Amino acid sequence: MGREAILRRIRLALGGATGADVAAQLSARMLHPPPAPVPQGEGDVVARFIARASANLIAVERIASLAQLVPAVQSLLEGGEDDARGISVAPALRHVGWPADWAINYGPGRIVERLSVTEAFAGIAETGSIVMRSAPETPTSLNFLPDVHVVVLHAGDILARPEDVWHRMRTSGEAWPRTVNVISGASRTADVGGVIVRPAHGPKRVHVLVVGG
Amino acid sequence: MRAVGPSFGERAAKALADASLQRAIGDLKGGFVAARARAVADFPAFEEMREAGRAIKDHTLANLDFYLERYAAEVERHGGHVHWASDAEEACRIVREICARAGARTVTKGKSMVSEEIGLNAALEADGIEVVETDAGEYIVQLAGEAPSHIVMPTVHKTADEIADLFLDRHRAHGFEARARDAAELIGQVRAVLRGKYFAADVGITGANFLVAENGAGVIVTNEGNGDLTSGLARVHIVTAGIEKVVPTLDDASLLLRLLTRSALGMEATSYTTYSIGPRRDGDIEGPEEYHVVLVDNGRSDMLAGPYRPMLRCIRCAACLNHCPVYLAVGGHAYDAVYPGPMGAVLMPMIGGHEKAEELPHACTLNGRCEQVCPVKIPLPDLLRRLRHDQWEAGFIRGTARWGIAAWSWLATRPALYHRLARVVAAAGGYLGRSRGRFRYLPLASGWTEGRDMPAPQGTTFQAAWAKRRERR
Repeated sequence: MGREAILRRIRLALGGATGADVAAQLSARMLHPPPAPVPQGEGDVVARFIARASANLIAVERIASLAQLVPAVQSLLEGGEDDARGISVAPALRHVGWPADWAINYGPGRIVERLSVTEAFAGIAETGSIVMRSAPETPTSLNFLPDVHVVVLHAGDILARPEDVWHRMRTSGEAWPRTVNVISGASRTADVGGVIVRPAHGPKRVHVLVVGG
Repeated sequence: MRAVGPSFGERAAKALADASLQRAIGDLKGGFVAARARAVADFPAFEEMREAGRAIKDHTLANLDFYLERYAAEVERHGGHVHWASDAEEACRIVREICARAGARTVTKGKSMVSEEIGLNAALEADGIEVVETDAGEYIVQLAGEAPSHIVMPTVHKTADEIADLFLDRHRAHGFEARARDAAELIGQVRAVLRGKYFAADVGITGANFLVAENGAGVIVTNEGNGDLTSGLARVHIVTAGIEKVVPTLDDASLLLRLLTRSALGMEATSYTTYSIGPRRDGDIEGPEEYHVVLVDNGRSDMLAGPYRPMLRCIRCAACLNHCPVYLAVGGHAYDAVYPGPMGAVLMPMIGGHEKAEELPHACTLNGRCEQVCPVKIPLPDLLRRLRHDQWEAGFIRGTARWGIAAWSWLATRPALYHRLARVVAAAGGYLGRSRGRFRYLPLASGWTEGRDMPAPQGTTFQAAWAKRRERR
């Protein structure tokens, strides 16, 4: 079928199939990627993360511990129009003392909730990005459906570059997540007359709470 | 030969006379070019990274069978299905069959140039399926019944006013009665209409900026988040991608992404970079139940064999379009091709055949800006020159053009005769043009003089002037 036909044409173009020794070299290259040029960055990764994220209009706030999460979310809700509408919380953050009278959705994202609270796997200082990993405790839809995306990021999880995140995932002993979302700003588009509009389809605001550090 | 329809020349003339189009594409010159220049200036490692990016792509292409097989094995290990399509028709058939098995009535699509290339929308619509483009730009051109005119900014040919008129006409059905006043309101309508579609979709189709052999991830880059809602909320996720999209590792993808976002938009990173691997897993409370990848060849394995292999490095950033004086003058639709601009002028004859894209390699001044800005150093002008030569060899260039080029080639390869003739022409031209210093009309060159005057020669040839100058030293 298609597979064999395409591979045959490729091998014909390349002058033959990959030999066993070359295949071994290529496999080794995948396990240990060769050094490549990377952007230089100096100093504290947390400070660099905050500077880059802020430049991308991500709001960053520091809290000492998860005990401060509920008050932080509360003040975000009071500042906006969303307090009565209920929020979505990733199951990973279920046990941080949410008030009993809040209408909280712990399931997949829905259109009704305007604010979600999720937990990041890592942060990237180079671009001020957060890395979200899909899992039953951290559903991907919560990153995209609400208007306001609140992200808990542990200061110790902030790494210099994406390559460091991949290294951490490779060596974690866990399976690759089904979905990894690297988020570097609010949803935006310039498809109407080149004017930047926020949001397009996803959140209009991203609010990162850096915990500890 | 193009059997029907206007020629590139006719389409270009129409585009040049279209004031609204000229206003719309005029913004590209300032916006994209300046943004890219700033991003490159802010990033000292850019040149070193371009070279590394070129090397990654060359390495992958030289071992393409190995990396594709590894990629496919990883996707399958994670519960996904990989389909291999030799051409556009086979690719469409595979997607149609997946949709039929899923009983699909509504399909959402993230931006995918490969799906444009294979004509997927028409194929699905013929089966009675509603296909909804979810990238705001793609949605707008779909609503207008047009094709994208740029591979990154599909709507670059449309003004906000035109889009407001379009929505006033087409969004009444969704309850929007008033004409939107600005870009924010227009995008607000797109958001509202598409929210429902994401949830209603049976199948979500996205493209891929990269396919990672290491772990089977498909990578998509967006600023809107539409790709993620398309892939995450539908019951079935289909990825369509060219076979050249594979890279060995996530590290390789990260390096190429640094080049892509800067070259395409002048950004350090887009809002969303998403890596998806397979369907939902045990315990997952969401995610697609099925995950399919359709790997599309469609002429690419033939390119691998010959001198056009460097074109397979292309990461679709569109920097070559944004810096092309021809593209910036006439816009994307004048090319009448899925991929316009310099990269399209090379790619279209390769994937569609010279017959369908005969004129494109000639829609170029060989000024070389495209090669200067290409993040993976594709020698676009060389490839375009080679395509012209191939067309000549294959007999596609006919009539006066063939006769004229043959005569020129005969003369240009006889230097002594050429110099003698050039001396006569320079002397005669200098004499005839001595009063005005330029010609308003020249026989056999009306194509030039219609648009501007031809400066008169100074009476002597460059060679003679050069020799004289050296004597003086």
